[in-house]
Amino acid sequence: MTPEQLARLAAELDDVDVVHNGDKWPIKGTRAEKRAERAVAAWFVLSALAGLGFVVAFIAWPHQYVSPYEPGYTMYSLYTPVVGFLFGLAVLALGIGVVAYVKKFFPDEVSVQQRHDGRSPEVDRRTVMAQITAAGKDTGIARRKLITRSAGAAAGLFGLGLGVAALGPMIRNPWKGGNDAALWVTPWRPENGETVYLRRDTGILTEISRVRPEDMEPGSMETVFPYRESERGNEEALLHAQRASDAPVMLIRLRPGTPTVKRAGQEDFNYGDFYAFSKICTHLGCPASLYQSQDNRILCPCHQSQFLAAEYARPVFGPATRALPQLPITVDSQGYFVARNDFSEAVGPAFWERRP
Amino acid sequence: MTSQTTESSPPPAPRNRRPHGKFRRRFAGALAIGIGLLAVGVGYDVVKPEPQQAVAQDNAALVAQGQQLYYNNACITCHGANLQGVENRGPSLVGVGDAATYFQVSSGRMPLARQEAQAMRKAPLPQFDPNTEEGRHNLDALGAFVDANGGGPQVPAQTGVALRGDDPARGGQLFRLNCSSCHNFVGVGGALSSGKYAPSLDPASEEQIYTAMLTGPQNMPKFADRQLTPGEKKDIIAYVKSVTNGNNNPGGNPLGGLGPTSEGVIIFVVGLTAVIGFAMWLGAKN
Repeated sequence: MTPEQLARLAAELDDVDVVHNGDKWPIKGTRAEKRAERAVAAWFVLSALAGLGFVVAFIAWPHQYVSPYEPGYTMYSLYTPVVGFLFGLAVLALGIGVVAYVKKFFPDEVSVQQRHDGRSPEVDRRTVMAQITAAGKDTGIARRKLITRSAGAAAGLFGLGLGVAALGPMIRNPWKGGNDAALWVTPWRPENGETVYLRRDTGILTEISRVRPEDMEPGSMETVFPYRESERGNEEALLHAQRASDAPVMLIRLRPGTPTVKRAGQEDFNYGDFYAFSKICTHLGCPASLYQSQDNRILCPCHQSQFLAAEYARPVFGPATRALPQLPITVDSQGYFVARNDFSEAVGPAFWERRP
Repeated sequence: MTSQTTESSPPPAPRNRRPHGKFRRRFAGALAIGIGLLAVGVGYDVVKPEPQQAVAQDNAALVAQGQQLYYNNACITCHGANLQGVENRGPSLVGVGDAATYFQVSSGRMPLARQEAQAMRKAPLPQFDPNTEEGRHNLDALGAFVDANGGGPQVPAQTGVALRGDDPARGGQLFRLNCSSCHNFVGVGGALSSGKYAPSLDPASEEQIYTAMLTGPQNMPKFADRQLTPGEKKDIIAYVKSVTNGNNNPGGNPLGGLGPTSEGVIIFVVGLTAVIGFAMWLGAKN
């Protein structure tokens, strides 16, 4: 049988009836056909050129950072668009070429396939089942209990391992450590009696710049992080102190003579005009650091809560209901700001076990 | 700094057709004389002795001139005859310094158009335009007058591109920590409470950004030199200048500089429309 006959036989065996199969180009070699062929080829050529251009641009285009006011900035700033455009064009033109080829050259065919009845014939079903049973009997798997059970144990424990690996990280006890649980304490907590300094971030991790009162003008604000002398040079500890979500503190120097109201029990938490408040909003934990130096309001950008820095950072507007926790600070004998203790309450948004 | 030299070098003159013969010789002669004169002039300027006595005199004259400007440009209406401030109009200017004067007047915030939530940036008075020689001189004089009453932060000695540091990446880190909560991460500004706002940094010059950090205009906190060193301030300026005014915008449209919200909406609407259109073309019959 010829290949065409075989193909037709295959269709018949599948109950497919080709009703109509018309060639798109019944007369070969017309100008229209040539034009269609060239159009499809043009897409592929475009794709090839774009692919080549992508490789060249990826390797040769200047990609090192150039600041906008130096020569060569335009070329540098076009690196990503050029690479992305050429890569995208290569993929898109290839796809359009394939679709255009299908649309222009595949024959118009209408085929009908008969729908089979719901289940296989009785004889097929019974023979297939008999075959499987016989295969099981021939390999002896039914008799070899040791292999069945050990294989079952292996597969089952592997599945259990997958499940533990996927779910394990989600299971955590937030109250591990009792009163020292993560939600209650912050990196400001003194450990082993070591002094906790207030440190500014200079953009260089290992450059330690401790804050002193004379560094700040009246009407200024600075974000500070905890620092211990034992952490000097320890990049991991320094980074943790800067990245921990409950560590950032706003150190605010009010203008002299600003009338202030202090919270009961926290009368000595400030140092002169210097007040240190947690930067974490008590509503939903955004960094509330929009300090307005004229009216001493601290704004949270997420839900427009406002806190009064001159009145123990109590909320005066918006959804926050609790004051920003205040860090007790003082100045040590060398003139550096130090934290006297951790916050006296949990920082950040409320949680179930938190006492109001 | 390479950027400085390239910025200040004049653009190459358009190439003229070569003058021939006599014209060429005359032109060359004139050029030689011109260069000679210029060299002598520059040489004299370098060598001539500095008039030591005149400096103090100049400063006193500058302060006197600044006082005249202060009286003649309505500053006195709200800040008082002795810079002591006027109740419900304007604050005292004792101790605000040269830098605050430069920022407020050169950015057009002062003189104030009317009492409102905060002073708006507008075109500076022509006599205080920092882009003209006269304007710079008048700003110096006014600043000297204010500075003579209580001192205060100073305008930096350097100007323009010299105030841009070499490390915009570190400047970006410092900007995101200290500035971006109000001014947004690419300096487009944002709202504060009760009609106040942090302005966009697009129109601000290097000197204005520097003096603003130093003096904390309106509700902005102050960043003294021991809090943010001059080098850190310059890095911040380098970062601001590298992201504002359409810089760092390879896509062609910053979409408000608001980050993922506007960008997500645009890619969702435009991208999804394109994908749906493509799918319809795929399924279309000829």
